[in-house]
Amino acid sequence: MAGKSDSTFAPPGEEWRPISPKLAVVRRLVMLFWLIVITAAVAIAFSVGGYAVVAGAVVALAVIIVIWQWWLIGRQVKVYRYVEREEDLLVTSGILFRRLVIVPYGRMQLVDLVAGPFERMAGLASVQLHTAAATTDAKIPGLVPSDAAQLRDRLAARGEQRSAGI
Amino acid sequence: MSQSDDTGVAASAPFGATEPRHTHPLTPLANGARFLPVALLAGIVLVGQNVDASNLVLGLLLTAAGVVVISLLIAGLSWIAWRRLTFWFDDQGDFRVASGVLTRTERRLQLSRLQGVDVVEPFIPRIFGLAQVTIEVAGAGDSRAQIQYLSRADAQDLRNSVVARAAGLHPDVGEAPQQALVAVPSRDLVISLLLRGSTVALVLLTVVIVVATLMTAGPVGLLWILLGGIPLIAVIAEYFGFYNFTIAKSADGLRTRAGLFQVQAQTIPPGRLQAVEFVQSWLWRRKDWVRVRITVAGMASDDDQNQSGSSFRQVLLPVAPYDVALSVVNEILPGVNARKTPLHRAPARARWRAPIQHKFLGVGWDDRVFVTDRGRFVRRLAVAPHARTQSVRVTQGPWQRWLDLATMHLDSPVGPAKVIALYRAAEEARQLADEQNARAQIALKTDPAGRWMQAGNRQDDS
Repeated sequence: MAGKSDSTFAPPGEEWRPISPKLAVVRRLVMLFWLIVITAAVAIAFSVGGYAVVAGAVVALAVIIVIWQWWLIGRQVKVYRYVEREEDLLVTSGILFRRLVIVPYGRMQLVDLVAGPFERMAGLASVQLHTAAATTDAKIPGLVPSDAAQLRDRLAARGEQRSAGI
Repeated sequence: MSQSDDTGVAASAPFGATEPRHTHPLTPLANGARFLPVALLAGIVLVGQNVDASNLVLGLLLTAAGVVVISLLIAGLSWIAWRRLTFWFDDQGDFRVASGVLTRTERRLQLSRLQGVDVVEPFIPRIFGLAQVTIEVAGAGDSRAQIQYLSRADAQDLRNSVVARAAGLHPDVGEAPQQALVAVPSRDLVISLLLRGSTVALVLLTVVIVVATLMTAGPVGLLWILLGGIPLIAVIAEYFGFYNFTIAKSADGLRTRAGLFQVQAQTIPPGRLQAVEFVQSWLWRRKDWVRVRITVAGMASDDDQNQSGSSFRQVLLPVAPYDVALSVVNEILPGVNARKTPLHRAPARARWRAPIQHKFLGVGWDDRVFVTDRGRFVRRLAVAPHARTQSVRVTQGPWQRWLDLATMHLDSPVGPAKVIALYRAAEEARQLADEQNARAQIALKTDPAGRWMQAGNRQDDS
């Protein structure tokens, strides 16, 4: 069944381009950071209150979540792919919740190049497409900044050529 | 329509600039008066809480005086703002508003990108014979100008000349003649509001609260009864808002108008319609009534943008028999009969994902529009023209994946109409997305969004 769904969301025959595996490192670090901060706060609160057993359970739960998220993030980054076709851009992503977005270049209103603080540290950037619909949600994270800039320029140029109203 | 073409037309037919002018001199007074009811209510509550019976008259007098002073203060501030606000058409034929006392702002609205012009008569300004004009152009964020207030006739003139200039016609061409299509009878409106699941639930809730209060008694109970009634105010407000609803057809689009205390009017140009949704509550089915909600581009920045989809601007018809509603939509989407479009039902295994509505899930299309159907108790038939498809999506959660199902979405600008083909076979969802993408791209080339009320476009459309 998995194979069948893969062909639904990323059909063979297109030249799907992956994103940088470095994004997994960034996301894992961010995940670790927050989980450690929250777990530490909760665990300390419980042990100070005299519930050492509960504190231990919280830490154990956190470890399980970390392992699960660690694995999930790796898989998510691996399946995040995009392809620029003649007239449209396809972006596919998601492990538990799979997603495929098809955006015709003629519908693009603007293309953003974004890099958050963690992404910048890892030397990565994201390209975000906007149409008149807020639900379009076509974001390509984990790009090398020079590639991202080129992709943005390419998309913007194609969008301009085929631009229509809304 | 390409950018260069737009500016070319605008430059060749600017029809000259106009002198900057002010809004109506009564505007400051109207603004001050708008705060009277709220201030009065607050004052009465304050008096009721803090003053005993012996000082009641004095307390009320003081409150009244305070309210008047505050209103005058607001009117005074509003007068300063009024002096600094001017609007005019520039030599490019575009609309400009200059405003602000400390920070000066000059806004330029490119009329070739006009989305809509509304004339609203809010309750208090209406007493002064004043109306407000909202001009909206396409663009991200806040891309509109509100002119508060003009006399009713001036507001109408401004609206007409904006529409005429946007269409490349002479500004004095006047209002396009209109032909009445539907007037919603007050009786139907009341019945339709009462026959809605949410209203029934609200009434039941109110009854429960009232009964519970009477059982436990106490003077505080009165307050609870009042609070219990508050949810029903939304229904009453909807009745006032859609009171005397009329819809008419004219060359510049469909015109809707309604309101008991506050009168609102809207023109929906055919090219700006993004999606339509026919909503039929369970209890409406016997009468075959339907509400028509619309998504029009440029509403994203709307302050009354709400998810319930009951604000005036999101409703094309508050209630009408289904065939009447279809014929009205036909005026704006010629040759489209959403109910006659053959629908493909979801596969039988969709019942494991949507046990209640699975039999009612459907998707269909013809050469102009894409249609989706969903909902068991509240049926929602959504229609979007291929030429207005922004993007398409396929999504699949874990449960859908287990059942080899997937959902196909057609992305439209923010609005009440949601075009979504729920729980198709995974392969079919993918195929639907690909085919819709192809149809959208063909439509994009042959039917670009035109200028407002462009004569040529109108002919092609019909």
